[in-house]
Amino acid sequence: MGPTRPLHAVFLRHPAPLRSNLVWQCSRSYHSYEHEAPPPFTPTEDAILSAALAHVPTHGFTNTALTQGARDAGYLDVSTNLFPAGAFSIVKYHLVTQRLALARHASSLQSQSDITTKIRKLALHRLHANEPIVHHWQEALALLSTARHLPTSLRELALLSDELLFLAGSTTVTSAWYTNRAALAAIYASAELFMTQDKSKGFTETEKFLKRRLEEGEKIRGGLDMVGKWVGMQAGGLVDGLRSKGVWI
Amino acid sequence: MSTPTLTRTSTRLTHRLLPPRPPYRCLSCSRLLAQQQQHQHQQQPPKQDAQNPTTHFGFQTVPSSSKQSRVASVFTSVASSYDTMNDLMSLGTHRLWKDHFVRSIDPGIRDCAEGNGSGQTILDIAGGTGDIAFRVLEHCTLVKNDHASKIIVSDINPDMLAEGKRRAREGGYGQSGRLSWLEANAEDLRAMPDNSVDLYTVAFGIRNFTSKPRALREAFRVLKPGGVFACLEFSKLNSRLLEAVYKRWSFGAIPLIGQLVAGDRESYQYLVESIERFPGQEEWMGMIEEAGFLVPGVEEGKGWEDLMGGIACVHKGVKPL
Ligand SMILES: C[S@@+](CC[C@H](N)C(=O)[O-])C[C@H]1O[C@@H](n2cnc3c(N)ncnc32)[C@H](O)[C@@H]1O
Repeated sequence: MGPTRPLHAVFLRHPAPLRSNLVWQCSRSYHSYEHEAPPPFTPTEDAILSAALAHVPTHGFTNTALTQGARDAGYLDVSTNLFPAGAFSIVKYHLVTQRLALARHASSLQSQSDITTKIRKLALHRLHANEPIVHHWQEALALLSTARHLPTSLRELALLSDELLFLAGSTTVTSAWYTNRAALAAIYASAELFMTQDKSKGFTETEKFLKRRLEEGEKIRGGLDMVGKWVGMQAGGLVDGLRSKGVWI
Repeated sequence: MSTPTLTRTSTRLTHRLLPPRPPYRCLSCSRLLAQQQQHQHQQQPPKQDAQNPTTHFGFQTVPSSSKQSRVASVFTSVASSYDTMNDLMSLGTHRLWKDHFVRSIDPGIRDCAEGNGSGQTILDIAGGTGDIAFRVLEHCTLVKNDHASKIIVSDINPDMLAEGKRRAREGGYGQSGRLSWLEANAEDLRAMPDNSVDLYTVAFGIRNFTSKPRALREAFRVLKPGGVFACLEFSKLNSRLLEAVYKRWSFGAIPLIGQLVAGDRESYQYLVESIERFPGQEEWMGMIEEAGFLVPGVEEGKGWEDLMGGIACVHKGVKPL
């Protein structure tokens, strides 16, 4: 077994400029069914956040959705004080629960298909989980890339990448590109962003995009650069863009 | 200026006060100041025994039964010069902290019109001067467009409440019909029914209570399920160095300034000491959890919010369903 020190603990002890590199280099420390991990949310958080998520299609990732969620769960408006990160809590809830849900889907994968195919199917499954809220996903990305939440966001992305690799069966250490969690994270993140612009029926364009990028995998050695770009793009352009549209970030 | 004297005195005070050795007697500080401090209750350090439980009054140990009246007399004597004291203790920033405190709670119900009975019931404990209540009212009205929520300002001390009412009139909050006043001990809120309050706030009050667990139990009782307990209080600095500097300031200079500005050294001395006595962030959070509240942010290892490196701190708890 690899070192068990939590990823974020390692992460936060390093100077900020090094962190994004570091995230990708820590050894894998967590998979949803490798350890008996404590449930990520308390029953109260679970009740309110899952109810809030149901309001995202109408209200977006906003405090209004959070308040509506609290009411649906039988709580008061003021109970949203339980979530100091406000609307970001809904985003995180979605990311964590959908990542954990991947394990259930993995069993339906055909065992004879190769790793790249498995990864593609899993990633696609995960992308489709964004479907009900995809027209609000840019708000989520904007929240994810604010300085305050960036460490959590990168960590979640790294965990997702790990989970995809793990569930696809990539347990052996090889030099193949797909053992590079950074490269996979970058591909996934770009596909997710692509999906927010995708108007095709059933998101077939996103599917093609993902397939293409994974096939190019061998060539994309510059995974870290790409992540840098992804982060830069979110933090700069997207946030500004949304601010100009009056989204409060 | 008298700066050298001040510095020398504060150094001496700090030296004597750190580490604290309760029961502490102000009398030993300085001959000059001693004349103003002749309170007979200081002469006899009380002994702990079963019949006469004791509690802390600043660094003194006093019978529990008398703490309440002593605290009352402190606040009677500082009621009018109250802002000066807060400015001194918070290095001039307590207004910003209070703004932040209220904004972070985000009280009120969005677009709640008057008279439909659906506003929040907010209880501001140790609300004395109305500082928190006025801010809550403004937040409800201006930020949430809520014209229905009501605030009960409660304090043990009628002089503080009188000061609050005066400020309410002057500030134009008096006529709104949304403010009411309740003279009560936070440890015994029998005037308030069970499960009747959406939000319980207490700013710079808890440390004065004789029994904090009792106050927490009462808070838990009066809150509705889902209701929020929110507390703003002076706290422990995270940095040893800053802590040393701040203590030097608070123990050394503040009582002295209190003496000069308000002519009341002892009350200010009590305030400084009561802050020192208050449990640290982690311990206080534990007490809130113990009372049955869900504490936000515990899992992320941040069950509270430090302000200015921990000079003050915000703690919250949500009553479960
Ligand atoms: C430092 S003042 C805080 C006033 C106001 N909340 C503010 O932040 O400006 C402390 C208040 O606590 C009140 N107090 C002290 N002991 C109390 C008790 N047991 N129950 C209720 N109020 C109490 C005092 O009368 C005083 O008004």
